[in-house]
Amino acid sequence: MSGADTALLDVRGVSRSFWTGGLLSRRRIDAVKDVSFTLTDARPEIFTIIGESGSGKSTLARMILNGMNPTSGSIAFGGEELTTIRKTRDRMRFMSRVQPIFQNPFESFNPLSKVDRYLTMTARNFTEARSRAETDDASDRALRKVGLSLAEVKDRFPHELSGGQLQRIAIARALIPGPRLIVADEPVSMVDASLRVAIVNLFKDLRDELKVSIIYITHDLATAYYISDRIIIMRKGEVVESGDARAVLDNPQHPYSILLKDSVLSPDVPDDDEPKTIERDRAARSH
Amino acid sequence: MLKIFRDLLRFNLEFAIGTLIVSIIVGLSVLSFFSPYPPEDIYVVAPDVPPSWEYWLGTTSRGQDVFWQMTAALRNTLLFGIAVAAISRVISLTIGLVSGYMGGMTDRVLMSINDTFIIIPLFPILVLFYFVMRDSMSWALLALIMAALGWAYDARLIRSVAMSLRTREFTSQCIFSGMSPRQIMTREHLPYVLPIVFSTTLNNMNWSIGMEVTLSVLGFTDINTPTIGSMLYWANQHTALVAGVWWWIAWPVIAVMLLFIGLYLLATALNEYIDPRSRLSRMGGAT
Amino acid sequence: MTLHQLNNHLNPAPEALPASPALRVDGLKAYYQTRWFGITREVRAVDDITLRIEHDEIYGIAGESSSGKSSLIKTIAGAIRPPLNVVGGTVNFDFGTRKVDLYTLKPEERTAIRWKHLAYIMQGSMSVLNPLRRVRQSFIDFAFRHMGMPMPAFLKAVEDHLLRLHLQPGVLDSYPHELSGGMRQRVVIALATVCRPGFIIADEPTTALDVVVQKSVLTMIREVQREMRASILFVTHDMAVHANLTDRLGIMYAGRLVEEGRTRDLFRNPRHPYTLHLIRSLPRIGDAEPRQGLEGTPPNLADPPPGCRFHPRCPIAMDVCRVMVPPMQALGGGHRVACHAVTEGTVQ
Repeated sequence: MSGADTALLDVRGVSRSFWTGGLLSRRRIDAVKDVSFTLTDARPEIFTIIGESGSGKSTLARMILNGMNPTSGSIAFGGEELTTIRKTRDRMRFMSRVQPIFQNPFESFNPLSKVDRYLTMTARNFTEARSRAETDDASDRALRKVGLSLAEVKDRFPHELSGGQLQRIAIARALIPGPRLIVADEPVSMVDASLRVAIVNLFKDLRDELKVSIIYITHDLATAYYISDRIIIMRKGEVVESGDARAVLDNPQHPYSILLKDSVLSPDVPDDDEPKTIERDRAARSH
Repeated sequence: MLKIFRDLLRFNLEFAIGTLIVSIIVGLSVLSFFSPYPPEDIYVVAPDVPPSWEYWLGTTSRGQDVFWQMTAALRNTLLFGIAVAAISRVISLTIGLVSGYMGGMTDRVLMSINDTFIIIPLFPILVLFYFVMRDSMSWALLALIMAALGWAYDARLIRSVAMSLRTREFTSQCIFSGMSPRQIMTREHLPYVLPIVFSTTLNNMNWSIGMEVTLSVLGFTDINTPTIGSMLYWANQHTALVAGVWWWIAWPVIAVMLLFIGLYLLATALNEYIDPRSRLSRMGGAT
Repeated sequence: MTLHQLNNHLNPAPEALPASPALRVDGLKAYYQTRWFGITREVRAVDDITLRIEHDEIYGIAGESSSGKSSLIKTIAGAIRPPLNVVGGTVNFDFGTRKVDLYTLKPEERTAIRWKHLAYIMQGSMSVLNPLRRVRQSFIDFAFRHMGMPMPAFLKAVEDHLLRLHLQPGVLDSYPHELSGGMRQRVVIALATVCRPGFIIADEPTTALDVVVQKSVLTMIREVQREMRASILFVTHDMAVHANLTDRLGIMYAGRLVEEGRTRDLFRNPRHPYTLHLIRSLPRIGDAEPRQGLEGTPPNLADPPPGCRFHPRCPIAMDVCRVMVPPMQALGGGHRVACHAVTEGTVQ
């Protein structure tokens, strides 16, 4: 098989259910139902998973990061089933190729630790760097890819940095092992609007310049439209619509996708004589 | 650390009083090293002398100087408390952190052991130990037994904190930085639980000292080592109160009460300093 | 100075306006003042804010984290507690039947005002509804005392109110956990408005909600406002919500108001570089044009930069911006902006 055909990530019929309730009133909750998609190695892309709360998008992300096993179906990364990756050595190898970005930049760094510690540890554990100078060098190179430098970050605690800076440091850290895939779960929802675009633009650069594939998980259709190549829209664990991002969002087919798109408030003010979006909506319903 | 101590001393009345009292007690214990008589010896001075210029706090019916006897007793009692607290903190930290971080089967096994220790009745067990060991029951052995029995409650507390830390995003960040469970527990989680450990240390000292006094008064320990408890035991044996030798009982009781109050005040002050709510109001914070 | 003049000086005659605005905030300053273990800190969360909110109007405040918007509305609602203290300025309400200078009142009176004339809708709705009691009980707990009518009439009034807001009176028999997040937020809005307050303060009421639900909650807020002719002070960081809901909009940055005007004017013709960035950088569905991010970090309010607080991040910062605080400049049509570049005409 030629390298171009290898699937980077192959998600096949993945489901995950949870049991809740007591002994007698146990109920099964299907968080993810029969989700399939494939990312190819040859063409890095930003693959977006859209969903609201309870859509199962975060559960899916956890399974892709091998933090949870599917109830049925399988996930393979680079042809290797995730369920077979259990030994520490295998896990380290997996983590050097798949890295996460978390939602809340203030939560994803220990407030009692200096932020550069995470960069140093990642460099030491996943690269050849061993000495202080080598790890510093690796950290600095990664930080420069996200528009920062080690001098700005060294010996700083998380509370001394802004959400945007922290999120960029988190991305830099994820880049140190040279991953093939980054899984970003709502990476900008807790970041201020004025800093958000810079981070979203950064994802584009990672794809175009570093050839990293990105799974971008979000509820925000506008940024999804802005950066994605392909999207899937999830609702209650199921994929309701998938395809080319622009095509799907410009012209959604499934009733839920249409509802979702219609619910997004446009950031454009209507003309004087035109009623505002939310009033049009009510008027339409009362007729 | 020193700065925090200085600020606490200056601005927290409880802390200042607590420190003062504990320093007096510690000072008295240090004085025991300058005692003119070996503390175990009896009939070294005239018995039953009331407080006077010669014997500041009087002498006992066994011919010991109450003041010097008390300094030795305080030293041993204090050391006993510190030993019990130190050993039991190590146990509760280890069990709590491991149980909270590992979860699953490890957690279930460790917590069932833990809960066994919480529910077994302490006092009868200690008395039982005394009857089994009899003369080989020493100060150090009692400290070990108390430590082995006194960790469970705080281990549960530490486990609950560790469990919530495990679900925080920064723990995932650590895992994907390639840190081992041991590194995560000691470098990332330990600093979070240390404040709790500090305040429980003081409470644990109070508890173990109280227990030791109770056991000694009843004669269930090694009564030949001078401690506050054994002083009271001998006073009772000689029916000090009936004989009017009130100073034999009054001074050690006052000293041990002061020690309780001092440790308690320190624990409350530290608790207030550690409590996230008061910490929050201290930081003020702009939103 | 004659006695008459002195009197006029102390009680200046009301301005020549048809009616006084629903809310008048003048030179309001509220700082977090903390003194803890020897370290004194002052965080100027609200720094010299002047604004008017008319009757029957939705006024929006936009700002990011550490812009001071939450502190501002807490101060306006009279819900401040130390370490947040009012350092200067006034907050005057006109509830129609009653005019109130909020910070001359005793704390108890302020609390009473908050229930009767002011409604406060927060982000976390669960904290308002008692999780162990049916919703009906929460209505009784909060509103019964203020309505001054017998219980059956009160419950009838509550049901009528719910019907007017397109809610089924059946929700009264539910427990809060049985309701969805959006429904809960709607119930909270109904609860906050059952006394028909003249002034409603809404603090990010839709931020925690899914987009589909968010829209229906916003629709409800708009309808409540229409129906009761109340004034609403609506705070959110989400510019799209402002575009669709508010009549006038104030932009806050680092504790100061930097621009204010009719929402439409502000979106069509933003003058302050910060407002410009906020509006231009919003991604839109159907538009994949590359957008530029804003460099730098929001300032630390404990140690804000001198001059214009935006200057370290401003693409058009001049020397004067580094030393002088730009004054609020009226541009006509109620549009005001605090920017040296606009005042000096260097930008259009």
